[in-house]
Amino acid sequence: MSVRIHSYDVNREFTMGHPVDYTRRSDLQNVDHVFKAEITNTVNLTEHEKLFHIRILDPTERDRFHFHPGQFVMVVLPGYGEVPISISSSNSQRGHIELCIRKAGLVTDVLHRAAPGSHIGLRGPFGTSFPVERMRGKDVLLIAGGLGIAPLRAPIFYITERLGDYGKVSILYGARTPKDLLFDYQYEAWRRIYNVHLDIIVQEPDETWTGKVGMITALLEGMEIDPDNTFAIVCGPPVMFKFVCARLQEMGIAMQNMFVSLERRMHCGMGKCCRCNVGSTYTCLDGPVFDYWSVINQKEAI
Amino acid sequence: MLYKTITKSDFEHLIDFILEQNEIIAPRKVGEKPDGTPIHQFLPIEAFSEMDLDYSKTEYSAKTYFLPFRENLSTWSFGDGGWKQDIQYRQKPRAIIGLHACDIHALLKLDKVMLKGPFPSPYYKARRENTVIIGMDHEPCGSGFCASLGTDILTHGFDLFLTDIGDRYFVAVDSDRGFRILSQVPLAEVTDEDRRRYVRARAAISEKQTIKVHTRNLPTLLDLTFNSAVWEKWGSKCLSCGACAMVCPTCYCYGVKERVCMDLASASKVKQLHSCNLVDFAEVAGGHNFRPTREHRLKYRYYHQHRGFAEAYDEPMCVGCNRCGDTCLAGINPPDVIADLEQENP
Amino acid sequence: MRYLGIEPVKPRVGIFDFSGCEGCQLQLLNKEESLGAFLSALEIVHFREGSSEASDDYDIAFIDGCVTREDEVVRLKKIRSIAKLVVAMGSCASFGGVLRHRNYIDLDAANREVYGDKPKETGKTRAIHEVVKVDVTIPGCPVSKTQVERIVQHLVLGVPFHDVVYPVCVECKQKFNTCMFEKGTLCLGPITRGGCGAPCPTGGLGCWGCRGATVDPNLKEFKDLALKRGFSEAEIDERLAFFGGFEGITCASI
Repeated sequence: MSVRIHSYDVNREFTMGHPVDYTRRSDLQNVDHVFKAEITNTVNLTEHEKLFHIRILDPTERDRFHFHPGQFVMVVLPGYGEVPISISSSNSQRGHIELCIRKAGLVTDVLHRAAPGSHIGLRGPFGTSFPVERMRGKDVLLIAGGLGIAPLRAPIFYITERLGDYGKVSILYGARTPKDLLFDYQYEAWRRIYNVHLDIIVQEPDETWTGKVGMITALLEGMEIDPDNTFAIVCGPPVMFKFVCARLQEMGIAMQNMFVSLERRMHCGMGKCCRCNVGSTYTCLDGPVFDYWSVINQKEAI
Repeated sequence: MLYKTITKSDFEHLIDFILEQNEIIAPRKVGEKPDGTPIHQFLPIEAFSEMDLDYSKTEYSAKTYFLPFRENLSTWSFGDGGWKQDIQYRQKPRAIIGLHACDIHALLKLDKVMLKGPFPSPYYKARRENTVIIGMDHEPCGSGFCASLGTDILTHGFDLFLTDIGDRYFVAVDSDRGFRILSQVPLAEVTDEDRRRYVRARAAISEKQTIKVHTRNLPTLLDLTFNSAVWEKWGSKCLSCGACAMVCPTCYCYGVKERVCMDLASASKVKQLHSCNLVDFAEVAGGHNFRPTREHRLKYRYYHQHRGFAEAYDEPMCVGCNRCGDTCLAGINPPDVIADLEQENP
Repeated sequence: MRYLGIEPVKPRVGIFDFSGCEGCQLQLLNKEESLGAFLSALEIVHFREGSSEASDDYDIAFIDGCVTREDEVVRLKKIRSIAKLVVAMGSCASFGGVLRHRNYIDLDAANREVYGDKPKETGKTRAIHEVVKVDVTIPGCPVSKTQVERIVQHLVLGVPFHDVVYPVCVECKQKFNTCMFEKGTLCLGPITRGGCGAPCPTGGLGCWGCRGATVDPNLKEFKDLALKRGFSEAEIDERLAFFGGFEGITCASI
């Protein structure tokens, strides 16, 4: 007599009880699958930030790739590593995304050296998104500090592409110096869009600066809002969104109607490595987009 | 659940049958401490005699047979201005013999993260599905506090689970796979006397569970004592060496690194078990560290084990084996830390 | 790895020996399975133990050993002025290594004892970074070839190298070792930089700290726990001083 334990081949398993959905719950076969993509173009924004135009190579994969504003992708450079980057473009362009990337570590350094035409990998999209659907019919405040304009661009595009569905839309943007202002070539376009109010401020002006000077919260002073009818999306460093959200709270907006995006170290994007753990949650699964109520209720989120 | 009894000599035959064609991992004595206490580890065995089922607790948990310390997630081969990705999930079947209830509970908790949530892990699933679990009841291990966490008893999560009732084993069968394996040896139906002996055996084990840790209100307590000096006290002792997470049956945090071949022709994406106590756990590109001190990091190990996990899955991640406490050179252990938090009266 | 349009460079490399046993240089010729690839990734123009060529035109200098004499200072400064990048290779180059012990004894007496009435010029031991600027440090006695390979990969691809920041315990545990302290042996594993793969504890020897202090070591707790386990203060201090990798790190600095 003898026993042979039968082998179980996970490679032959097609679903795990969840519907196959490449954008959120991944198919088992595709958990670590990397989309091949091409850097089609790069735009120098500042000395440290570059905008990468990226297109998924395979037409079927390109068609399948869909994201919601606020989600992020893992940019994969085989042999170098992976980094989580918020998608910074309109989700109406299927399979084409733009990523605004600051040179800050090994992978982003290498990316900055990569020439247009190079191939990179993408995993995702991952994480929660700004509830732009729920904001229909309401006024929206889109507020960014510094590099926060990168994740904010996705909801800006989403909303400005559907202005008829929204009430008053305001884009407020603050940076430390005029040199740190990103996407300056787009301001004129945003300014001219029907029913969109754009306001920009810097903390430390240089001799060429003729605009407003001060903290981002200064742009909210004297602003007339209908608090029960206004949603806010606030992107920027924790110290910035803390002050902005406190001000918005004073203006009467409910904390559940304000949304912020958190940044943490990530190795998987799938709620497994725990590196992006904040309080009791993971930034990659329950975030990066959180409503402000959830943020103040998580230890060490701010 | 199906229950049977088998004789002890038939259990030995059963192990031999399995060994003929499959790998078996079982508790083995690997050495002794200076005071003569035996040291056990889960290791591959070649014969029944190499097993020591009368072990109290292994030094390392069996986690590593499901979540290896190092694992290759993808292999890249470069060429033609691009790369090819190769992913392998295949695993050879094997059996783990002699897991105690707490260690099986640990697997059930890992299942919740690795299989039942979003993005199930195929690497984990391949190992889990290909491992037959033959568990075993045992007297309390000495430093464990599993009874306080309800992980000393078990209703599922195994193929076979054995309880010593004198001359025979009382066997709970929880899978068809387990039943087919067990059917290789003569089985007896459970008699009234067997039932009585089983209940007595279980009660005798439970009576010996003397270590009590108050864990019921721990999630709230951890929130209320977040800024307590208790963390300074224990944090200042922490060596940030990660030993606790390595031996823990549930700690699953990891880091990913690329390992490139010297000729730059291929590379692998390698996962390595990490620990939230290690200094770079929450450090981001640019150098900012969200958990810069030992105190922060140690606190978060407890916070994740007893609050974060509890919020997500309505149960703590800790199974109360106290392997972390046993292995910690600085003497940091959950019963003492939790007692300190209890006395803190925030 | 050419898919990003980044061409790996083939740096001109010099390998230089200063005071030490030269074992780290020998390590460079170990690990046969990848030795061919290792040597073809570089253009080695100066390597006394591996080749007869000795050019003064190199981009990267690997320094083996520490500085104990004035002529070494002159030679090292010259190397620094030529090399774009200086790598301190091994414990001696990184923090003095075992030669650091010379700094605690009467050197003149030792000189007389060894050389009699023909004393040799010798001075205090200095690590490479105490004389010139060092760009990359790879401690280890000897240095690990795998780590050297990794650094070379980073150099040819032009990306920064970050050493492991966790202590030896992580890799020791990952080898299923029983803790050396459990066996009654003193071990610096909890406070020493990992990345070595814990070969000493795996072989039954406590860690001697050849990779130097880990990032933010808890020296105070380490001393307490070692004293509690019956090791004497002198024994612990001697161990800490052995490779010189803990010099300047005090219990108060935590």
